[in-house]
Amino acid sequence: MNGMRGSLQRIMALARLAVVDLFRRRDVSVALLLAAVALLPLLAFNFFGVSGVWRYVGEVTLLLVWIFSIAIGLGVAARQFPAEFDSRTIYPLLSKPVRRTEILLGKFLGAFLATASALCLFYVCFLLLLLLKGGGVDPVVVAQAFLFHLLFVMLLTAMAVTGSLILTPSANLTVCALAAAGMLLFGERLAGLAAGLPLASAIPAWAVHALAPHMEFFDLRLRVVHGWPPVEWPASLAVAAYALCYTAALLLLADRLFKRKKL
Amino acid sequence: MDAVRIESVTKLYAGAGRPALDGLDLAVQRGEVFGFLGPNGAGKTTTIKMILGFFAPTSGSVRVLDGDPQDPATRRRIGYMPEVANYYGYLSACELLAFYGRLCGMAPEAIRRRSGELLELVGLQDAGKKPLRLFSKGMMQRAGIAQALLHDPELLILDEPLTGLDPLARIQLRDIIVMLRKQGRTVFFSSHELSEAELICDRIGILKDGRLCCCGGIAEVAGDGAGNLERIFLRHIQEAKG
Repeated sequence: MNGMRGSLQRIMALARLAVVDLFRRRDVSVALLLAAVALLPLLAFNFFGVSGVWRYVGEVTLLLVWIFSIAIGLGVAARQFPAEFDSRTIYPLLSKPVRRTEILLGKFLGAFLATASALCLFYVCFLLLLLLKGGGVDPVVVAQAFLFHLLFVMLLTAMAVTGSLILTPSANLTVCALAAAGMLLFGERLAGLAAGLPLASAIPAWAVHALAPHMEFFDLRLRVVHGWPPVEWPASLAVAAYALCYTAALLLLADRLFKRKKL
Repeated sequence: MDAVRIESVTKLYAGAGRPALDGLDLAVQRGEVFGFLGPNGAGKTTTIKMILGFFAPTSGSVRVLDGDPQDPATRRRIGYMPEVANYYGYLSACELLAFYGRLCGMAPEAIRRRSGELLELVGLQDAGKKPLRLFSKGMMQRAGIAQALLHDPELLILDEPLTGLDPLARIQLRDIIVMLRKQGRTVFFSSHELSEAELICDRIGILKDGRLCCCGGIAEVAGDGAGNLERIFLRHIQEAKG
């Protein structure tokens, strides 16, 4: 029990480092400032007197929240290990009584918590903006959208942390960003595409459909903005299980890679 | 019981033509200051990394404080300062020590007390709250010494500890090593600074091409030949070549 508590303390100490790093670098402040610059004109005016203009503001705001969460999540997660290797702090770190699995989990948890805390701020700003524009959203759908977004961040950070142990930092960022954007934009069309292809071409398409992380499962922006009903709970649980299993698989792979990493 | 015992250790890196360590045998006794000397590429850093359990030898065995260095319980008793490390620039020296203290399982009160003592010992008492990114190279080295000593280790491993230190800091580090010896701690350090090694080491070992050319007290290593450690070092390296 003591061993478990000690292990958790070490993981949390490592995770805390990533959160402190993110907020001291002022990445979140810059993202909030950029969002404010983009949204203030929309907030201030209603050029054509359109009723329900808050939906438009809400959609743009949520799109920005998603873009910034991807940028911050990838930025934080992808630099966790390369920064340790570049600055050579990995050596004093490994010389402490800490297991490599704990370092990996601490780095992942740190990247996830740092991005999640930034995401909380973004959602609070989103709700404040909607209040200012007189919009009404279903709180259950917003809560569900936030939770799904957290699952997305968890998967994304696990992917970037794992990638950082195989690829160079720039290649990792490119691959992860393309995977996230590609799946968010085209993920739901993959199955249809594969079904319409001749057998030889359909096999790789089905393989991508089966293996690629389906980021689009976590995107509930349209439900929030258009007031659609929340996702049914069985489906929500299935999506959560999918995110957890995928993240666990990525972390297991990362653990093997880190243990074999030449130092 | 030895603090470090290395027996017939060979380390072959994948793709390398020759082994980094070739049947190395070395014993460091408890309570001594041991200088690990050798030219660049001799295998000093590889040896240190194995003592710290970063990887296992290809063959042979490494025991540290009578334990397996890959076991975290053994590493809890070891302090390590690398040759170069740019510690997290967004933390202050106090926060850095708090972070490492938590990793070592120290209580918050013990971390605070020990951090204060160590920052004073390494001369950083006035820079404790300053971000590390504003530290000079010498100050960073001092922070490195503090983190290595934080959890009161029995064995201290210093990799080229004098790099980047000004004369005053060198004297301070020498005093710290002497103090640790008086406390019965073992200090194992690699260095190119032969004059410093001569001043503080109880014994030295000279490594060349992954093999130990000689090991013992300075008088013992000098043999019949007179002269300072630099001459002794050169003679042994040339003999190993021949």
